[in-house]
Amino acid sequence: MKPAIEISHVSRRFSVAGGEFWALKDVTVTIPEGILAILKGRSGSGKTTLLNIIGALDAPSEGTVRIDGREIGGLTERQRDDLHRRQMGFVFQAVSLIPSLNAYQNVEFSLRMAGIREGRKRRAEECLKLVGLGNRMTHMPAQMSGGEQQRVAIARAMAHKPRILLADEPTAELDSAMAAEVTRLFAQLAEKEKVTVVMTTHDLGLMDAGSMVIELENGEQR
Amino acid sequence: MFKMMLEKLLSKKWMSLCLFAGILLLAATAVSFPMYRSEAFDRMLREEFRNYVSSEGRWPAVNSLVLISKKDAGGKSIVRAEELMGELCGMLEVTPLETIYYYSLAKEEARSLMNRDDLGKVSLRLGFLSGLPEHAKMLAGEMYSGEGVSEDGCLEAVISQSCMVESDLLIGETIEFPDLETPEGKPVRVRITGVFGEAGENDFYWQKKPDEMTLDCLVEEKAFREYFTGDRAGKNIITVSCYSMFAYEDLKAGQTEKLAQVTDWLTQESPYRHVVEEPAYREILEVYEGKRMRIQATLFLLQIPVLALLGAFLFMISGQMYDMERSDISVMKSRGASRGQILRLYFYQSCFLTVLGTAGGLPLGAAFAGALGSARSFLEFDLQKGTWPGADAFCSKETFLYGAAAMGACILIMTLPAVRHSKISIVSLKRQKAAKKRSWWEICFLDVICLAVALYGYYTWTRNGGNVAESVLKGEAMEPLQYMGSSLFIVGLGLGALRLQPLLLGAVYALGRRFWGPASYISFMENNKNGRKQQFIMIFLIMAVSLGMFHATAARTILENALENRAYLDGADYIVKEVWEDNSGLMNGEAEAEFRYYEPDFDKYARLEGISSYTKVVYDPKAYVELEGNRRQNMVLMGIHTKQFGESTKMPPGLTEKHYYEYLNELALQPDGVLASADLRDVCGYRVGDVITYCDGRKNKAKGKIVDFFTYWPGYVPSVLERNPDGSVSRQLRSMVVAPIDTLVTKWGTVPYEVWMKAEDSGDGREFYRWVDQEEVRLVRYVDRGADLEAVIVDPLLQGTNGILTMGFLVVIVLCGVGYLIYWILSIRSREMLFGILRAGGMHKGEIFHILLNEQIFCGGYSVAAGILIGSLTCRLFVPILQNAYTAADQVLPLRLITEEGDMVRLYGVVGAVLALCLLVLLGLVRKLNVAKALKMGEE
Repeated sequence: MKPAIEISHVSRRFSVAGGEFWALKDVTVTIPEGILAILKGRSGSGKTTLLNIIGALDAPSEGTVRIDGREIGGLTERQRDDLHRRQMGFVFQAVSLIPSLNAYQNVEFSLRMAGIREGRKRRAEECLKLVGLGNRMTHMPAQMSGGEQQRVAIARAMAHKPRILLADEPTAELDSAMAAEVTRLFAQLAEKEKVTVVMTTHDLGLMDAGSMVIELENGEQR
Repeated sequence: MFKMMLEKLLSKKWMSLCLFAGILLLAATAVSFPMYRSEAFDRMLREEFRNYVSSEGRWPAVNSLVLISKKDAGGKSIVRAEELMGELCGMLEVTPLETIYYYSLAKEEARSLMNRDDLGKVSLRLGFLSGLPEHAKMLAGEMYSGEGVSEDGCLEAVISQSCMVESDLLIGETIEFPDLETPEGKPVRVRITGVFGEAGENDFYWQKKPDEMTLDCLVEEKAFREYFTGDRAGKNIITVSCYSMFAYEDLKAGQTEKLAQVTDWLTQESPYRHVVEEPAYREILEVYEGKRMRIQATLFLLQIPVLALLGAFLFMISGQMYDMERSDISVMKSRGASRGQILRLYFYQSCFLTVLGTAGGLPLGAAFAGALGSARSFLEFDLQKGTWPGADAFCSKETFLYGAAAMGACILIMTLPAVRHSKISIVSLKRQKAAKKRSWWEICFLDVICLAVALYGYYTWTRNGGNVAESVLKGEAMEPLQYMGSSLFIVGLGLGALRLQPLLLGAVYALGRRFWGPASYISFMENNKNGRKQQFIMIFLIMAVSLGMFHATAARTILENALENRAYLDGADYIVKEVWEDNSGLMNGEAEAEFRYYEPDFDKYARLEGISSYTKVVYDPKAYVELEGNRRQNMVLMGIHTKQFGESTKMPPGLTEKHYYEYLNELALQPDGVLASADLRDVCGYRVGDVITYCDGRKNKAKGKIVDFFTYWPGYVPSVLERNPDGSVSRQLRSMVVAPIDTLVTKWGTVPYEVWMKAEDSGDGREFYRWVDQEEVRLVRYVDRGADLEAVIVDPLLQGTNGILTMGFLVVIVLCGVGYLIYWILSIRSREMLFGILRAGGMHKGEIFHILLNEQIFCGGYSVAAGILIGSLTCRLFVPILQNAYTAADQVLPLRLITEEGDMVRLYGVVGAVLALCLLVLLGLVRKLNVAKALKMGEE
């Protein structure tokens, strides 16, 4: 299988009062195309930092990340933005919907961002139905529960059919049945649409769904 | 709690600083008003007194009583009257100058002891005038001696020149009054030692001029008292006149109340009310008081919108602060803080900021007052010529009152919203965030109400437009509704614009639905969702722009019209009318002798520097035109040299159909022609080519053919306001005929003329007065246009108006800039997470900036555009109303709406700079935007 994400010798150092703090130390992983990879670890182990670096939201202090063979450290800001727009989808730990748009508009907006002109309505509705919110499309984020908002975020992240979907604790706000459902959704997405999904979680019950598990502890790979 | 409050303030230092600045400005604006006023009113009071002196030639600050003692036993009433006069200045609390006593006995027969055949008997009044030796100069002989009695027991006396002529007395002559007794019981003998006249010109000591003292034989005071007062007062009738003069130059506005009060008591209630004369200063005080009330009311009205805007600013900023602290409040409440505690916290905070702000506001207010006092026109100050409030203005009762009111208002504005906010709990906060509701003003149609009231005010004004003249003559202040009309109009239309904005945007969005990129899409959606939060800053911006325009136009219009009118009425830069001697004194009633004038030296005008041209102008206000049937039309006759007149005068353009030079050219072609004012055509029915007979004040006649009619002419007053016997006021037309001066001289001989001059541009006006001194010009009338215009500029009403409008404008601009900037920075800060999400979704920084730019256009751009539109409409409708309150009774030029481009450029410049600065700040914020950090914020 073709590698989708190649992480080699990535470290991330933060300056903190009284010295330096290594959030990541020399991580090297290769994630193949079209699988669901699970980043596992306790809180503070560096999962989110690694995810942000893969997603080019943050830059590594050392090491390189390649997406589809292209090193993202060398991209211009514009190229990085395009990468985010067309090839990546994000689901953040915290709620990340646009408060002034309703559920449907939030999903549709990512299609707009990706420059998709035709069939936006159908696709947006399809994705919302997929996450079980077909009947709440016109609700504003403030009118939905945390779990519902998280599901809208997932629908939004996958609507424009990204090459890579990065999800930071997407199940944290969901009940276990829904968590299992979402994870299954991710696995299905990976298998059918050849999307590479990387998701962080500390829920041990979900590990089985992933075809690959990467475990971090204190920023180091185990 | 104090520590907590300080921490809270420090954690939001920008907001706290804004609140502080708002309070500072509000306090300063509020106290500047009484501070300026007290200074301006002092000045105005002085002006009123000076005007009286220059027009009446008498000292107005004097109280006098005239007492006739009839056989006053022991002279007690005289003594009491003298005591009263001695105390009077102390009672009035004014600075005493001089108290003059003038005693005289009744007219008595006297006969000369010299053997003269021509003098039989004379009637003379014996008396004394205190302080005479200091104020008189001897024309002949000498002043009475210190003792007042000569060695041979005669009273020494001086007389005026007119008395000498009238009674035919000689110096050194001794006369005897058989009916008056010396203390020794002999008849009183008086020796004339000299003839006196005034020592200096314009000495206000002379309540009665020496010329008028045709019967007075003045002796030394001590001697007179010894002979005729005290125990001996019962023997004669003595007329006692006392004049208590005080200084008016150091009279303060605050003293007038006491002064008027004591004067009232003196003339109406005191035991002396029958002998005290009505003092001249009372009328001055009344005129002053009327003006003061008018100015006070007008300036106060002018300040209201600015103060209201400042209040609104405080309200807005503190509202923002509450919004930011909503979650803090809800957390505090969930941890058991009572509503009272939260209210107290905000109350302390408001008090703390207010005390700090007011402390700074006092000196700033003094600076404002100084600026007000040095305002020359809109946005123009001359700090060197200005007058600054004194220390007493600082701690006056009024300043204190205004300051306290400002403080109270600040505390209230900042604390009251806490009542609402303190109700919030975590649950209701979430609910509130989700709700999207209409603003209260939209529901109660505040915009419609404001507009209706404003238009009603406008309507009543247009309907009563004819009564303007009346209110002007009566010196009424403008009606509050009429002035507030403009503010209400602005608010009403501004709110209407807010109502329109979402509809307009919705339409724009719908029109281009297919074309909008992600950035524009987000801007439209954000505006749709959050637009209501911007309403306050939008109305603020709209009001700032339109009020700015209104203030600028109003100030310019008022001042320029007043200046133009003054300049027009004066006619020329300088006009000099000298004293013309004539031979009437020498004619002695001989009818056959020809009356003639002696022309003053004209060559001296060539020696006056700083003058570019000058010309002789006959100006006779007592002339008339003979109409049919022995009727007369009174008019002003003007005789001119056409070419020189054109060179020495100027007129504002556009007043007459053609340039006034063209009239001059027409007149120059016809030596027998005259130019006539248009009312002679319109009222008397004359036509061009008609021959009229006109006469000057001495009834010299001449005929002239009317060459043309003019509506305005340099120095021509087309109409004046006059009070009719029934109390109503109407405009009376005035006529004028202009003829060539050479024609008049040919027909009538020498005619007294004035000299009209045009100043060089560089002249500073001082040469003129130097010249008058040097050449010893004896002036009957003079005009100094520069000085007159200066007087208009520093007129307290106009200056105060200019100052307040300018200060208001500046304050509004500052507030608007600061408020707008703060609003946007906060708005962006509060949405950093949104931008983080958008960035993570791959939105370029350029697109984020695009969103913000769109919002600026929707909010700022729209508001400024609406403000300009509303402002110009308001100017057109309401400036004429405002102008009304300032129209002087002698306004003859048509009023024009004056907008100075420079002001608008400045206004737009400042607003543009604010918007640009805002964009710059936005740019900086967008650049610094850190996606990971922004998203982290969302987690918390």
